[in-house]
Amino acid sequence: MFSPVRSHPSVSAPNSAMRLVFTTVLALIILSGFAQEKYTINGTIRDASNGEALIGVTVYVKEIKNGATTNEYGFYSITLPKGTYSVDYSYVGFRLVNLTIELDKNIQQSLELNPDAEQLQEIVVQAEIEQADVHNMEMSTNKLEMKTILRAPTLFGESDLLRTLQLLPGVSTVGEGASGFNVRGGSVGQNLILLDEAPVYNSSHLFGFFSVFNPDAVKDTKLYKGAIPARYGGRLSSILDVRMKEGNSKKFEYTGGIGSVFSRLAVEGPLIKDKASFIIAARRSYIDILARPFVPLLQNGGALNFYDLTLKTNYNINRRNRIYLSGYFGRDVFRFDKTQGFNWGNTTGTLRWNHLFNERLFLNVTAVYSNYEYALQFGKDDRNRFTWNSSISNYIFRPQFTYFINSKNELNFGADATYYTFQPANAQGVTNGEVVDISLDRKYNLETALYVGNSQKVSDWLSLEYGLRYSMFQFYGPGTVYTYGDTIPGIRKPVIGSRTYASGEAIASYNNWEPRASFRLQTSIRSSVKGSYNRMVQYLHLISNTTASNPLDVWNPSSNNIQPQIADQYTLGYFRDLTEDKQYEFSLEGYWRDTRNQIDYIDGADLLVNEFLEGDLLTGIGRSYGLEAYFQKKTGRLNGWVSYTLGRTELKVDGINNNEWYATRFNQLHNLKVAAFYDINKRWSFSADFVFTSGTPTTFPTSRYIQQGILIPYNANDSRNNVELPAYHRLDVSLRLEGKKVKNNGKERKNSDYWMFSLYNVYARRNPFSIYFSQTDQRVPAGQPLQSQATQLSIIGSIVPSVSYNFKF
Amino acid sequence: MTPHRQIIKTLSTVLFVVVLAACEDVISPTLEPAARILVVDGWIDNQMETQTITLTRTQPYFEAVSPTGVTGAVVSVEDGLGKVYAFVENSAKPGAYEWTPSAVDTLARGESYRLVVTVSGEVFEATSKMGRVPQIDSISFDTDKQLGSGKDITRGEFWATDPLGIGDAYWIRSYKNGIPLLKPSEINIAFDAGLSIGGQTDGVVFIPPVRRRINSNDEDADGVRLSPIISGDSIQVQLHSITTAAFTYLNEVAIQTDRPGGFQELFSTPLANVSTNVVNVNPNGSKAVGFFNVAAVSTAGKRFVP
Repeated sequence: MFSPVRSHPSVSAPNSAMRLVFTTVLALIILSGFAQEKYTINGTIRDASNGEALIGVTVYVKEIKNGATTNEYGFYSITLPKGTYSVDYSYVGFRLVNLTIELDKNIQQSLELNPDAEQLQEIVVQAEIEQADVHNMEMSTNKLEMKTILRAPTLFGESDLLRTLQLLPGVSTVGEGASGFNVRGGSVGQNLILLDEAPVYNSSHLFGFFSVFNPDAVKDTKLYKGAIPARYGGRLSSILDVRMKEGNSKKFEYTGGIGSVFSRLAVEGPLIKDKASFIIAARRSYIDILARPFVPLLQNGGALNFYDLTLKTNYNINRRNRIYLSGYFGRDVFRFDKTQGFNWGNTTGTLRWNHLFNERLFLNVTAVYSNYEYALQFGKDDRNRFTWNSSISNYIFRPQFTYFINSKNELNFGADATYYTFQPANAQGVTNGEVVDISLDRKYNLETALYVGNSQKVSDWLSLEYGLRYSMFQFYGPGTVYTYGDTIPGIRKPVIGSRTYASGEAIASYNNWEPRASFRLQTSIRSSVKGSYNRMVQYLHLISNTTASNPLDVWNPSSNNIQPQIADQYTLGYFRDLTEDKQYEFSLEGYWRDTRNQIDYIDGADLLVNEFLEGDLLTGIGRSYGLEAYFQKKTGRLNGWVSYTLGRTELKVDGINNNEWYATRFNQLHNLKVAAFYDINKRWSFSADFVFTSGTPTTFPTSRYIQQGILIPYNANDSRNNVELPAYHRLDVSLRLEGKKVKNNGKERKNSDYWMFSLYNVYARRNPFSIYFSQTDQRVPAGQPLQSQATQLSIIGSIVPSVSYNFKF
Repeated sequence: MTPHRQIIKTLSTVLFVVVLAACEDVISPTLEPAARILVVDGWIDNQMETQTITLTRTQPYFEAVSPTGVTGAVVSVEDGLGKVYAFVENSAKPGAYEWTPSAVDTLARGESYRLVVTVSGEVFEATSKMGRVPQIDSISFDTDKQLGSGKDITRGEFWATDPLGIGDAYWIRSYKNGIPLLKPSEINIAFDAGLSIGGQTDGVVFIPPVRRRINSNDEDADGVRLSPIISGDSIQVQLHSITTAAFTYLNEVAIQTDRPGGFQELFSTPLANVSTNVVNVNPNGSKAVGFFNVAAVSTAGKRFVP
């Protein structure tokens, strides 16, 4: 029938890995077939108001005190012995549906849930109240509802996904204006940000003030900080999985808003009723239009704007097949005149096919194109100019299977292949018509992975999730690569050799096993203990040594000189419902992460348009550890949460800080966040958030000296990040006014609208972004002493009021 | 020093105008105490004029007086053929050690040099090698409308071609009406004809950012950039050959000292020590900072008469 396959000694590692994975999958599928007479209930759960698939709906079978949740496509499947069952379908904000199901054959039970008008106004971060955190397998995971994002106080009137995300435990930023975010002490480049499964390499507009996600087009956001399932990989510290709306399949709907920075409009509706729908959402900043009369630069061909377009369509071919096509295009444009300027942005496209092989085997195949690029051009005319662009593109193919073995086991397995093309710099200088090309070689890479993971309910009190991911990475020619000699760490490494590879020839190759495991132990009806271990491997490195990450940062693949980054994370948490009605929940989670092959930079490293970049990189080890406490009140007129993280994140790199451990720039010992939402009456609601974090570490000099008339700062102890900036704290408040629900003549209005009034940084604190040291007056007459000073910069140093008007009809 | 710095500067100005919310405060933080260590300011060249190596000590960062010179040291430069040039202390200028070349006694191109400084019983050494410099073919001026204000702005530009062969490095030092331009933002260095070591610009005319960064960078009280050149101004450009280590050093100096603040801080790298080529022969002895470089020089100058 089935015998275990032994890998032959001559079989290479990838082959034996593949065999092991698929042998396991095969064994589980075959074994599951030998059970007693069983039937399957499956189907898709949707929102009755707009036809959107609902992610994470609890399907609870009372007889077995167990059940399932719907996946990213709203699909669920439960296999049970023949019998009669009472099944609850519940989802927060929706009316519960109870069905009695006579299970004597396979049953297809799709449902549409009706929004519960009473509950609709409530803010919930975690979706499932019925099956709350305490009972849920997941840990180190936060789900962020759009309702929360749309109610939180705003900066410049724009509801923003990443800004709200920063209110969650374990998530931080180095300050306003910094692109991206940090999770549990990881760097910005250690987060995998997925928009409909397409990686987004720069998640910010206008440096870090706004994120690229248009709130009108986002359906669901989930952040994995630990216990990361085997189907995800490629980054060390987190996965941010953002799913777009499919578009209303019942009726046409227009959503939009006018804020102080953006105006937005989204259109969605059915293409074929209940069969196919679409959404198109667009945003554009219009500050340049308003400012044009006053700024000559803008009249002379200059530009300053950012915009994005998000679209998605889906077609339900039949019960077994559905396809989705989604895309994103965004740009930030800064032009000084008609020919000189700077722009950057992401482009993504995702094609997905959901296929149901049988009642229990679900397949999703995804094909993705994603690109991030920036371009600079300056110079007067074509005979004298400098142009420079850089990009990272990738093509992804990803089949993912879910096999719903029985009510206790759900098996996920699949593969993942990404082909990357890097253009580190395509740059030309033209002088009087003479072209000097200083472009660097393109780089070609293939990252592939196979994974299998099982989530298993062992008993009423114990659940397990375990899996294994095997990832491989190849760096291919054509290209020239260099080898570098050893030197005193911290000094630029000399080039000692080079080799040119032909097209398709392997330059470097890596492979890694990535085990993942977690457990949930139900310690009482109201409390549980959860723990996890996961290994993550990252083959791409974000190269950035500026104070904050910015759009010019480039990605560099692992190569003959740079090893892949590896992280091992351990978490342990305690979850408790504080009251019978599950209104109050408390959790405490500890994490420890060891990392290897972390990149840092020699002093004076030259990261842009540098053929010998890798000679300027240093590698070392890292550790980050902390404790996250989270208290949430889930329902009621007043709800919200308090989150506190005590954490530390450090690196140890030969050549930096006398080879001792040093805190990274995103180390924050204390990180406290409070978010509160209060319904004053049917029309007015109030929200506030408060943030307190320890100051970010920075390096201060001790001394100064003069060289050829230039004043130079000097740190006599050679230390890195030897001081902390003053603490950061900020209070934001907002008032939301719902438009009238009924017309003056008593009829219900078809459209709905609301005003959002916000005050950001209410008490106008000048939170330090950085403190820098410089020479005071730089044109000093000969013989006069040079003066030095320290300056504290606050990116936002005053109260920022804003208003926005938002509508839907 | 890379081209994006110029872009970022302009961009940051635009951002500042738009967002208007950033603010800066001068503060007086307490800094860690530190020992005062030897500073060697040793940039000499093959010109027929008195060459000076200055010895001082580091000061606490906020000490607002000129550093005092280190007296009583013994300073010499030895070339690869064993010839020793003694630098003699100038009693009128404490810390200045001088040597004057003569027709028979000059520093030669292509030669390597070793600096030896003996201070309070400790011996410090540094080495350098004199590279080559091309002739400056010409200096030109052009007048343009300034972005934004629309005012006339005149800039100088020098023209020269890097000789074939990778590895020539230069410090382009310029003077306006005889005054050296020494602001951190005016540091102008080149590796071959380009901006960086990996830049692949060997054997061509210096690229535009290098050619044009010979201008003064001054603003009026409102922060509007002044025209670097007005009628009657003269500009002098000196092309100094430097070693690769000196190029790296000056690149680090520019990164660490050119801190105009504002939104440009978003793009700045954290504070770090710049390198040095001055080493104590006793590895357990006290440290020193500063740099020693021996340059070949070519010069050109021009007055702007519209």
